[in-house]
Amino acid sequence: MAEPKTKYDRQLRIWGEQGQTALEKASICLLNCGPTGSETLKNLVLGGVGSITVIDGSKVELGDLGNNFMVDESCVGQSKAKCVCTFLQELNDAVKAKFIEEYPEALVDSNPSFFSQFTLVVATQLAEDSMMKLDKICREANVLLIFARSYGLTGFVRNSVKEHAVIESKPDHFLDDLRLNNPWSELKRFAESIDLKVPDPVAHKHTPYVVILVKMAEEWAKAHGGALPSTRDEKKEFKELLKAGMVAMDEDNYKEAIEASFKVFAPRGISSDLQQIIHDSCSEVDSNSSDFWVMVAALKEFIVNEGGGEAPLEGFNTRYDIFN
Amino acid sequence: MDTIEVSNLNRQFLFRQSHVGQSKAKVARDAVLRFRPHISITPYHANVKDSNFNVDFFKQFNVILNGLDNLDARRHVNRLCLAAEVPLVESGTTGFLGQVTVHVKGKTECYECQPKPAPKTYPVCTITSTPSKFVHCVVWAKDLLFAKLFGDKNQDNDLNVRSNDAARSSKNADDVFEWGENEDIEQYGRRIYDHVFGYNIEQALSNEETWKNRNKPRPIYCRDVLPDIMTQRNGNNVDKTDDLSSASAMASLGLKNPQDIWCLMENTKVFIEALKLFFTNRRKEIGNLSFDKDDLLAVEFVTAAANIRAASFNIPLQSLFEAKGIAGNIVHAVATTNAIVAGLIVIEAIKVLKKDTESYRMTYCLEHPSKKMLLMPVEPFEPNKSCCVCSETPLSLEINTHRSKLWDFVEKIVKAKLGMNSPLIMHATALLYEVGDDLEEDEIANYNANLEKVLSELPSPVTGGTMLTVEDLQQEFTCNIHIKHREEFDEEKEPDGMVLSGWTQALPEKKDAKTSNGNGASTSKSLPTKPGNTEIDTEVKEISDGTVSPGTKRKLSEFSDGSPVDHSSDVDETRNNKKIQKHDDEDELVMLDHWDSDMSKKQRLP
Repeated sequence: MAEPKTKYDRQLRIWGEQGQTALEKASICLLNCGPTGSETLKNLVLGGVGSITVIDGSKVELGDLGNNFMVDESCVGQSKAKCVCTFLQELNDAVKAKFIEEYPEALVDSNPSFFSQFTLVVATQLAEDSMMKLDKICREANVLLIFARSYGLTGFVRNSVKEHAVIESKPDHFLDDLRLNNPWSELKRFAESIDLKVPDPVAHKHTPYVVILVKMAEEWAKAHGGALPSTRDEKKEFKELLKAGMVAMDEDNYKEAIEASFKVFAPRGISSDLQQIIHDSCSEVDSNSSDFWVMVAALKEFIVNEGGGEAPLEGFNTRYDIFN
Repeated sequence: MDTIEVSNLNRQFLFRQSHVGQSKAKVARDAVLRFRPHISITPYHANVKDSNFNVDFFKQFNVILNGLDNLDARRHVNRLCLAAEVPLVESGTTGFLGQVTVHVKGKTECYECQPKPAPKTYPVCTITSTPSKFVHCVVWAKDLLFAKLFGDKNQDNDLNVRSNDAARSSKNADDVFEWGENEDIEQYGRRIYDHVFGYNIEQALSNEETWKNRNKPRPIYCRDVLPDIMTQRNGNNVDKTDDLSSASAMASLGLKNPQDIWCLMENTKVFIEALKLFFTNRRKEIGNLSFDKDDLLAVEFVTAAANIRAASFNIPLQSLFEAKGIAGNIVHAVATTNAIVAGLIVIEAIKVLKKDTESYRMTYCLEHPSKKMLLMPVEPFEPNKSCCVCSETPLSLEINTHRSKLWDFVEKIVKAKLGMNSPLIMHATALLYEVGDDLEEDEIANYNANLEKVLSELPSPVTGGTMLTVEDLQQEFTCNIHIKHREEFDEEKEPDGMVLSGWTQALPEKKDAKTSNGNGASTSKSLPTKPGNTEIDTEVKEISDGTVSPGTKRKLSEFSDGSPVDHSSDVDETRNNKKIQKHDDEDELVMLDHWDSDMSKKQRLP
């Protein structure tokens, strides 16, 4: 039940099941397990990464004891990769840990195809020419690559990734516009069934603000050749029109409509960013395509057909079916 | 004084599975000695607020490094460091955010110069009558219902216990929550259910005024949701040789995934089943139980109860995982942020040891780069001249001296607002109250008597225009408070009936961003380019239970609205002032101060 995952509870609250699964499926290759590399792997191992492979040709020296948690006195003279691996394994026995006592530069030259098995290669303290070679190898194999070097109190981290696709982007601000600027047919029909100028004051102040906006927007569009308020003056004028529709001062629905009027100012159709994605050649999918591109292909079809030029409406992700 | 928990193991790398349950201080020491033998590490498995950690103790050190997880302890250590004149490196993390700050007496601000947001609390009526967010339902389920059913019976409780009007008027009205001698547990459970989710809601609905501008709740009765009596499941509570303490309603009901959102019926089943399991397997504990986030059955019960209440009030339901995070004030935490902040702490500590004053920095670790920087270093400010802690500025208190008692003053102002642990209260030369181990019985009796008196009727009457001096000897913190008499206070905005001023008060949190997952501190993710509104008030996550001696005032918890699920929350400044109970088994929390506060007005160090 909850128990196997209790260890990861605190981080699950950051990246959820999806993030945790991605982490647990990943296989990492570390090149050089000095302080930088060891620290990197330590954090991944604690988090439950699927597997790690440590590549380092050096032996542990006295100087290493002062800057690396993953070696101790008894390791001096032994393979650093072996020692670091052993320590890392202690941190989390769910992680598969392997090591290869070999210099990364040599491996890059002699066996480039070795790297294709990994999800991510973390290359630390590599010289530039090896970095260039490795970058090419990883790009071709579609393997993520991160370079890192540190010197005293400075250093750098550099990603090299061909393409990173995110489906659930978890934006900071959830755009909740209900697409009132181009209502779908059921909403339109619903709005049509309601008379804004209903004489009964109670009914008048209970007309949902969404309906008010949809109807007023339609009226405006009719009077403006099908366009919605776009300039600052037009938006102001639209708000005034809404205000004029109030028959009493305490009509919260009208106040809400005024506050939410920006929802009808949004331009219709999809953004240029989205255009770019659906028209990317990768959206012509085949059996090799990634999940991301398959979803893009589906989205494209929707937009062209049912959507009539619009993307599907953003849905709620909380449950309201409490009456089961 | 913390012990190692399983959930620590995703980041506290000095600990292993085999260490769970052991003292963090001791195990950490042993682990460090393994990779750095021959250094002197003395572990104290104790509360940092213990009286033996006094000024002399702190004077032994060249620098203090804080890794605390609650505001109260941080303030306490801050005062001791000021008294001992030892530099303090403060820090905290939550999720991807973190910070490190340096405090040197006389040179920089002390930890309390900039007000820290106080834990979020909710008005009693919101919890008992008009919840609008899931967190309100959780507070109700945990601090009212759970407390009433399983906690101290003598404690006052805001839950309506009377079952009908006639009963209310009779002197020996039955408490409907009392379990009958041989009452069938499921019957009892259904009875409770109907009372709190059915009857109490009907009662509330009868007051039309409340619902004029609010959505009405609907009463829910057990028979409508779960018409059939739940039959015994195989092998759960019948066999007492089982491990009773690990009884779980979810397990009995076959609900496997804590991240699932249960429907009303499932929540009802969990409610009844959990109640059954408590009464069958853990009867001895009933009457003494307080909510513990690691007590699965308690979490199940609270989740179910909160969800049913939410259903009644048309608030979206949440999973056990989410509810647990809210009820347990769980802070999300990960290895990397802590590694970064730890590194920064060491860097500042080295500067302090070298006395490299010009280089001290307050460093903020952000989630998203601001002006291309993920780590924002800021030069420390000079001490705040109106800080009542390090600048001994007097404060003013508006209070009704004829109505408020000394007790109110001590609890709400001295302990809660001023953060004093063992206060001493003087009025001119008269000692009105003190706390200590070496007091005589008659002295204690005298002080207790004083607590019950209203201010104007104390042996040395405290009226408008006079001044009280409050001190905490251990913290070496003295504060002078000018008393101003005021007749009326706004019940909603000033529920304590007192207003303390003169010390820049904590500003309300601004929650303008939503996060989508997990239970985080209320973070404003949009970062300011000019200092704006980065408030990580993980302190907000602190929960305080009303652990007051029986028979005295009832308290409703200060509660934290930690969940991003609740990000649309309005700022609620009204407080029910409660004693803060430290949940020291929490992870390091972060206090990200207000970036903006008076940055322009303050002087930086030259």
